[in-house]
Amino acid sequence: HVPPRTEKMAVDQDWSSVYPTAAAFKPASVPLPIRMGYPVKRGVPPPKEGNLELIKIPNFLHLTPPAIKKHCAALKDFCTEWPSALDSDEKCEKHFPIEIETVDYISSGTSIRNPKARVVTLRVKLSNLNLDDHAKKKLIKLVGERYCKDTDMLTITTDRCPLRRQNYDYGIHLLTVLYHESWKTEMWESEKSEEDMEEYIWENSRSQNNALDTLLQIKASENDSNVTKEDLLASEVVKNYRSSVIALKNEGETEKNMSQYKESVKKLLNIQALP
Amino acid sequence: LQLDHGCALHTAAKHCFSPMVSQDVQTPAETPRAVFYTSEKDPAKHTEQHEGQHYHIPLEEVKAVFPHGLPRRFQQQIKTFNEACLMVRKPALELFSYLRGTNFAHPAVRYVIYGEKGTGKTMTLCHVVHYCSRQGWLVLHIPDAHLWVKNCKELLPSSYNRERLDQPLQASFWLRNFKASNEHFLQEIKTQRRYMWGKRESTEEGRPLGEVVEQGLARVRVASDAVGVVLKELKQQSDLGSFRLLVAVDGVNALWGRTTLKKEDKSPVSPEELTLVYNLRKLMVNNWKGGAIVTTLSQTGSLFKPSSAYLPQELLGNEGFDALDPFVPIPVPNYSPKEFESCYRYYLDRKWLQHEK
Repeated sequence: HVPPRTEKMAVDQDWSSVYPTAAAFKPASVPLPIRMGYPVKRGVPPPKEGNLELIKIPNFLHLTPPAIKKHCAALKDFCTEWPSALDSDEKCEKHFPIEIETVDYISSGTSIRNPKARVVTLRVKLSNLNLDDHAKKKLIKLVGERYCKDTDMLTITTDRCPLRRQNYDYGIHLLTVLYHESWKTEMWESEKSEEDMEEYIWENSRSQNNALDTLLQIKASENDSNVTKEDLLASEVVKNYRSSVIALKNEGETEKNMSQYKESVKKLLNIQALP
Repeated sequence: LQLDHGCALHTAAKHCFSPMVSQDVQTPAETPRAVFYTSEKDPAKHTEQHEGQHYHIPLEEVKAVFPHGLPRRFQQQIKTFNEACLMVRKPALELFSYLRGTNFAHPAVRYVIYGEKGTGKTMTLCHVVHYCSRQGWLVLHIPDAHLWVKNCKELLPSSYNRERLDQPLQASFWLRNFKASNEHFLQEIKTQRRYMWGKRESTEEGRPLGEVVEQGLARVRVASDAVGVVLKELKQQSDLGSFRLLVAVDGVNALWGRTTLKKEDKSPVSPEELTLVYNLRKLMVNNWKGGAIVTTLSQTGSLFKPSSAYLPQELLGNEGFDALDPFVPIPVPNYSPKEFESCYRYYLDRKWLQHEK
């Protein structure tokens, strides 16, 4: 029977001619000893010959680095040069904080139009926008899922207009509207309750009231009644307690947080351990 | 299990005699036991050197101090081994040091024992209860607050306050056990005002608190109100300083969660609508002096909480945390290697573990 093509392949052959385009996985054309699949008991994963699992999955054998280099070389004639002043990511971000993404689609067919080409994605970091604390919180609430907290990136994807230029204009308009609205304060915003708060604020919370009540009672029992609330708030133990409660509520509970809270409560209530 | 029972009785008989006859003298039969067993019966004298060792509680004391407090598996173990042995562990010792150092003129401090499932929180609480009862405190032990918010067959509208609901069965059960554990206190403490039970019966001012308990037991309909009266009186009187009050609640997260109970029109009952829970919550607030509040969090009986939750904030919720804040959290870890060794030596000695493997 005819041996597979892999046995005749040289090590330094031109791979982009074996897989010039996206194609299914052909085990006789790929000289790699790949195994894929769930092994039977006391066995190994099945080999590549006739392996449906390898054929089903998408493969990127047509996009190896030398192939990409060839694509770039071919496209270079249609491109302009990258500006030499923008050689680092920080400089790019500093001068061009908003990033616009559009995708062009080519296919061989009767028409060059592709409805997916009208999608426009705007990405911007909120640290580049001039927002104060209230404006930032309001913007994040308005925008909802489009904001990623880890990377501080707001992503707006628009495709409601038929043309790409219209979608781009709409995206810019959305950004402007969001910015201006988040700076305005409405009348009903004063009814913001504790559940709406994004982070825990200790001032005027029940925890503060409890702590102050306890301390006042302690002082009263020791006949030291000239201590006022402001003095208590400014004292070291209360500040310690405050920071540990805020850490607990905002960051969740870890061993470290709990032990810190325990120490601060012991100092606050003056608990001594007598062995 | 049958064979084991016979074996255990035999060894129990032998060992029951030896601690009583030879108090601190180490007989050759006892020397191997010294690793995991200490003959120190008074929790007040337990120190770090006793850590990891079991101590023996006489069975009469068990009936007096914990009529309903011990977890079920431990009660089965007591029945099998015919003795109650509790292990001395660090969280309990830590609590004892705090309790010894409490300033009774200050408001009561709240301690919350938390830890993963099965690490020994309830047993730590029982150890603390034993210590306090030995020291002469009045122990208010609620074995499992979860029992009050679920599986209740009878819900009566409260006679005292129209919006609340009573639970006569749970209340009378608890009153009976409370009476069993604190007999002598109930005769000494006097009520401070007159209480009306319904239209005809009343308890006058100055009568011993035992009468209120009797009233609750005799007339089951007013049992929950009797419980409320007991709690209120104890709170007011511990301020005066004639006795020390320990409030020990197991499963305190039940007080602020949800209940599985429903009213007659199938609307869910929230915990503050139950008289028992309402009165207990008033005790949890630290505006009284002369005692301490020790609580445990328990996921095992809790409702609507995932089984991996064990941290205070997860189980108590925001409301519970704010109500108990500031409290001293006491984590209870799993057995350390030393404690584990001590535990299995004890089981080996009791012939519970049959094969050496």
